[in-house]
Amino acid sequence: MVKVAIYPPNSLILADLIERKGHTALALQKEVRKKVVDPEIDSPPMNITEDDPIKGLKYAAIEVPSGVRGRMSIIGPMIDEAEAAIIVDDAPFGFGCVGCARTNELSTFLLRNRDIPSLELNYPSSRDETMDMVNKINDFLDSLKSLEGS
Amino acid sequence: MLENLSINPELGSDDTDPETVTRMIILGPKANVSESEIVHALHLLDLPLTIKNTCYGSMVSGKEKDVIKAIKEIRKMDPNNIFTKARGFPPGDPRRCRAHRLGPREGFHQMEDEFKLLGDISDALSNRKEVNIEKDEPIDVDDFKDIVKESLNDKKNK
Repeated sequence: MVKVAIYPPNSLILADLIERKGHTALALQKEVRKKVVDPEIDSPPMNITEDDPIKGLKYAAIEVPSGVRGRMSIIGPMIDEAEAAIIVDDAPFGFGCVGCARTNELSTFLLRNRDIPSLELNYPSSRDETMDMVNKINDFLDSLKSLEGS
Repeated sequence: MLENLSINPELGSDDTDPETVTRMIILGPKANVSESEIVHALHLLDLPLTIKNTCYGSMVSGKEKDVIKAIKEIRKMDPNNIFTKARGFPPGDPRRCRAHRLGPREGFHQMEDEFKLLGDISDALSNRKEVNIEKDEPIDVDDFKDIVKESLNDKKNK
């Protein structure tokens, strides 16, 4: 079982395709859950504490807006944990959105910089491209099986 | 007076248990099973789960091992048309549940958008084709020069 980071990190389609192949998708919702069910965080609907932008300093400098650092405090550890990555470029808002273009840029940059197997695709614009995308993702996930033993 | 959208969730001990997970089961547009069939099948599994019937499929919440077991069984009903996704908030959480909001919850719009692709995704899963996932490497500059010279010579000869 390989831990695969996805970008956009909350995409239904990417997470589902990864789990079908028996790998673990590092999806944002799993991290968000840790925040929203924590009884110590008692300011709903807020789920970011003042400590989070400080944790985000590991990934983004102090002059970077706190929104980016707050997001990176959740997305950053997932990128560190990843053993492989699937990145979909130019995805529309509906295909999983973190609500911040700068976070998108920083996260994809950090994923590309990790020395891990990665697959980078463009968001499909037609039926053929969609089928091509699914086949590429399935082939990539099959190729990760060699990593499992190592 | 404005609606209070920041209701305190007052979560139960099951919801705050770190081992508890919530998954959404989403039916694709070409699914051969209905939402109620899925819910019936989930109940018949007799697992300690909270099951909610929804417009897109259903939502299950419980211990991770039970949820994974339930999803494995449910997928067998229509493997290429049943999709699942993790959900951060527990079912019925007033911070997200549409019953307490003035419209659909935020994630619904995202699901609605991804739903448009699910038909093609299930077709691709049913008819798998070989594709090349090798990255295209840039060609050598000398090779590039040769190709340019060749094509220029071809033009001159014409």
